[in-house]
Amino acid sequence: MKEGFRQSMAWLHSWAGLLVGWILFAVFLTGTAAYLRPEISYWMRPELALSRPGPADAEVAVKAMQGMAPNSPTWFITLPSERETTTRVFWREGGGRGRGRGFREAVLDPATGHPVEARETMGGEFFYRFHFQLHYMSVLWGRWIVSICAMFMLVAIVSGIITHRRIFADFFTFRPGKGQRSWLDGHNVCAVLALPYHLMITYTGLVLFMLMVMPWGIDRAYPGGRQAFNAEAFGSAPPRPRANTPAPLAPVLPLVEEAQRRWEGGRVGRIVVANPGDANATIQLVRADSERISYNPQSLTFDGPTGALIQDSGEGRPAAEVRGWMYGLHIGRFAGPFLRGLFLLSGLAGTVMVATGCVLWAVKMRQQAAKKGRVGFGTRLVEHLNIAAIAGLPLAMAAFLWANRLLPVGMEERAAWEVHVFFIIWGLCFVHPLFRRGRQAWVEQFAAGAAAFALLPALNALVTQRHLLATLAEGDIVRAGFDLGLLACAALLGVLAWKVARHQPATARARRPAPKAALMPAEAAE
Amino acid sequence: MIAFAAALSYAGFTALCLAMARHHEQVFRSRAVPAGRRRVLTALGWGLLALSVVPVVMELGWGLGLVLWLGLLTATAMPLAMLLNYAPRVALALAVTPVLTGIGLLL
Repeated sequence: MKEGFRQSMAWLHSWAGLLVGWILFAVFLTGTAAYLRPEISYWMRPELALSRPGPADAEVAVKAMQGMAPNSPTWFITLPSERETTTRVFWREGGGRGRGRGFREAVLDPATGHPVEARETMGGEFFYRFHFQLHYMSVLWGRWIVSICAMFMLVAIVSGIITHRRIFADFFTFRPGKGQRSWLDGHNVCAVLALPYHLMITYTGLVLFMLMVMPWGIDRAYPGGRQAFNAEAFGSAPPRPRANTPAPLAPVLPLVEEAQRRWEGGRVGRIVVANPGDANATIQLVRADSERISYNPQSLTFDGPTGALIQDSGEGRPAAEVRGWMYGLHIGRFAGPFLRGLFLLSGLAGTVMVATGCVLWAVKMRQQAAKKGRVGFGTRLVEHLNIAAIAGLPLAMAAFLWANRLLPVGMEERAAWEVHVFFIIWGLCFVHPLFRRGRQAWVEQFAAGAAAFALLPALNALVTQRHLLATLAEGDIVRAGFDLGLLACAALLGVLAWKVARHQPATARARRPAPKAALMPAEAAE
Repeated sequence: MIAFAAALSYAGFTALCLAMARHHEQVFRSRAVPAGRRRVLTALGWGLLALSVVPVVMELGWGLGLVLWLGLLTATAMPLAMLLNYAPRVALALAVTPVLTGIGLLL
């Protein structure tokens, strides 16, 4: 090898980062938004009133499921919590294995058990799902793509640490207004100061999909299938076959109380009922994931008809528990409001790190191009994609919220159309830089995003009763805070637009009297 | 307790900064850091950072405590890096916060 170790690592870092940078940016930004999934969902269903979890929620939910899906082989019920004001259920459709696995879902009012009378929307669930399985493709494809991007990310992080020669000397160094130097500084500061988070989130993200990405060991050791593995690794009770003799389900409330007693006040978060209405039914109560870091849930499994305890699975064995910890750390549901704020901050740092990395690449290529005298197609492509991915995505996210407020409530496929609007706007952001080159495109997309976010609270006041003044008066902190957060997003994007617009590229001033193509915002070559 | 830990970690980072020529210059306008002062600041910085883990772990235990502590380190170092550019004197003044939050805890 002619070059030094560090040079080859630098090469690896820039290519591993660039190739998947745009997807990583989207994954980071929507993943960061997913920390607020319940809050986003709550804001997107303005019809819902504030509610507090009550002791009868489980009973009501099970009754509702008996009405809605008596023949389903499995029900999954997620009970409301401090942050989640609805009961979310999904179930496997009964009878015959028709198309695919046939899952259906519903969002219920915890008090009545009826489907909520709210507009149809995916809510924060969309950002959450998009960040690990994308959209408009099979779930498996999306997960594979994101997993591969995460592997590149891990490579980029490790090679980046090796490449960064002055990691301690430049620990706090940020020198604004110095062109390429500033982009590198910004990239480094966001990367180094939140490094524990970046490593954690990337590595644990891969661990979440390890059974999908690397199934061979398990498939070899458990040729009979995953159930034997799951039973052994996670201590879940082995599934019981259907007896095909009907038997009513025992009341669930005493079981919930039993669980709370055993978990010393711990709350039941989820209920899984297998073969409801059958003599071999089981009811599994799973502890709420907000109470422990580890996502290996403690659970109790009861016999359906009698309510007798069959299995008490506590913490898993060491290997399973390590995975549970990593899982839990990644999704961060254990975090209280303050810690969630820290996660959010680090997530944003990661987003900025990816964005500055992509921009830095383009800035460097521009400089080389300036020496050679012509700008290659690759550089143009990267610049174009940077604009659409980095400035376009926030605009598309705002558009998603606009669609939530503007699409007619009774519309067919309403929830799907909210998502279509998101992608239509994002798609337009990919077209827009064809007509408005370089800096203008950056400014316009950032400014449009700022305006879209800034006007959302106003739109909210026009079309719903849940406007900022009302929510503040009611003490509905979540909705009021969300509106204020939208204004903060607007301010941030506004500052970015303003900074880019005001920026005077040094090269343009010095060497080119009338630049034909506008330059990157960063283009201030020394 | 958490505020105290945040203040300790911020002060620790500030001390480490002041031991570096570039940041010393940002705050005091002179690039040269006397060798004695550099040693004291470095030791003080690392000491304060190490100390900042104590209140968090006392409050939340090891598991949750360490996670939150790492988050605190990030959340205190980032504003410092920005303040050093835009308001170096404020960055220095904020380093007295452990004293204030400490007194707050005692009262």
